[in-house]
Amino acid sequence: MKPFVLLLMTTLASALAASAADPIRVSSFSTILTEIAQQVGGDRVAVTAHVKAGVDPHEFEPTPEDLKTVGESQLILLSAKHMEGYVGKLKESTGTKGTLLEVGNGFASLKMKAESDPGKLVEDPHWWHSIPNMEKAVKIVRDELTKISPADKDYFADRAGKYLSTLDALETWVKLELAKLPRNKRQLVTSHDAFQYFAKENGFTIYPIEGISSADQPSSKKVAEIIATIKKQGVKAIFPEKIENPKVLTEITRESGAKVGGELYADGLGAPDSDAATYVGMYKHNVSAIVSGLQ
Amino acid sequence: MRGSPLLRAAIAFLVLLALGIPLWRLTHAAEPTQAQTQPAPATEAKAIHLQLDFTLAPRKIQVLHLGQEVWSEDAPAAEIERDLKIVYPDQGVDLQFHIAWPDDAPLAAMRAKLTDPAGDTHEKSLWGKGVVDDVLTFP
Repeated sequence: MKPFVLLLMTTLASALAASAADPIRVSSFSTILTEIAQQVGGDRVAVTAHVKAGVDPHEFEPTPEDLKTVGESQLILLSAKHMEGYVGKLKESTGTKGTLLEVGNGFASLKMKAESDPGKLVEDPHWWHSIPNMEKAVKIVRDELTKISPADKDYFADRAGKYLSTLDALETWVKLELAKLPRNKRQLVTSHDAFQYFAKENGFTIYPIEGISSADQPSSKKVAEIIATIKKQGVKAIFPEKIENPKVLTEITRESGAKVGGELYADGLGAPDSDAATYVGMYKHNVSAIVSGLQ
Repeated sequence: MRGSPLLRAAIAFLVLLALGIPLWRLTHAAEPTQAQTQPAPATEAKAIHLQLDFTLAPRKIQVLHLGQEVWSEDAPAAEIERDLKIVYPDQGVDLQFHIAWPDDAPLAAMRAKLTDPAGDTHEKSLWGKGVVDDVLTFP
């Protein structure tokens, strides 16, 4: 009998130890939050990235497989500020006991034109284009991971501290780089109104133009207005996110004299093999494109 | 009524010419002229005054505007000032400071007081240890 009890106790102890060492299961619906969770959580987290690089988070809809994973997650990371229109369904359908953390609700919102109705202003969900917001997000995720696994408090604090130092260095790099661009040239014409946070912090004025990224042909009046704005403001480059309407873009550049600037990453990180595969890489890519386009 | 052949030929030529000109204009539309981007309002260099106060005199100070050096001093005093001429748009300027404090010195600070072309004074500070590269925005 004694050997049997010993064996049972050993098995139980092993199971408990394995359970304690199991990483925290995290579901992320943003490429930015996936990076934060991995940077802060290290090997103490297992992150499932539901929204992958290159996927438009505005268009993303979770699949039944996503919902199953969410149901088993201990922490679900969301950008918030209305980025995830499916958040209600997510709560209702998964019955998850995990914490649903709407990270973007941790800081103030700026407004942007609604894509469906440009006459209407909505919350700009692209909060990560502000490095201070990114730093707050890191602290929010660190604190939540610590609540789930208090024993790993120092581990998470140490990793978060290192990542925050990287973000501080990025902030200095951005300031030095943008200092090459006169303040009266800081006019950003984009086809996707996603850079309000970046603009506010760095003294840019945004002129969003609808119609270039859309297959729908904008009216001649609209195109004329865009051209007049670009000429009036002396804008040197425009930054279309994706070009689905090359005829309109050609007309605008020909008539206004503005050139097409580099591609900007508005909605998250780039593909793993791109220079925008990390947050620092993505931010440097955008700033370099803007500076070289507008100089 | 019939007129001379010469007259008829002249009339026919005039009719063809009258029809031909609009036809030629229609088929030879002028190439749209390349509109030039209206340049940002040309901004002339304007006089500003810059005063720098250090809690600890650095080994070297360099001030850059739009990537160009506008002022540099080796072993400056703890309080220095200079009149400078730089392009100063209404939106303000970013000045980049490269400051080299002694390697073993404690945390130090610099207070920059800029008097803009309109005569208004703006003050900004930065802190650092060792070699520091940072940007101050005025106003």
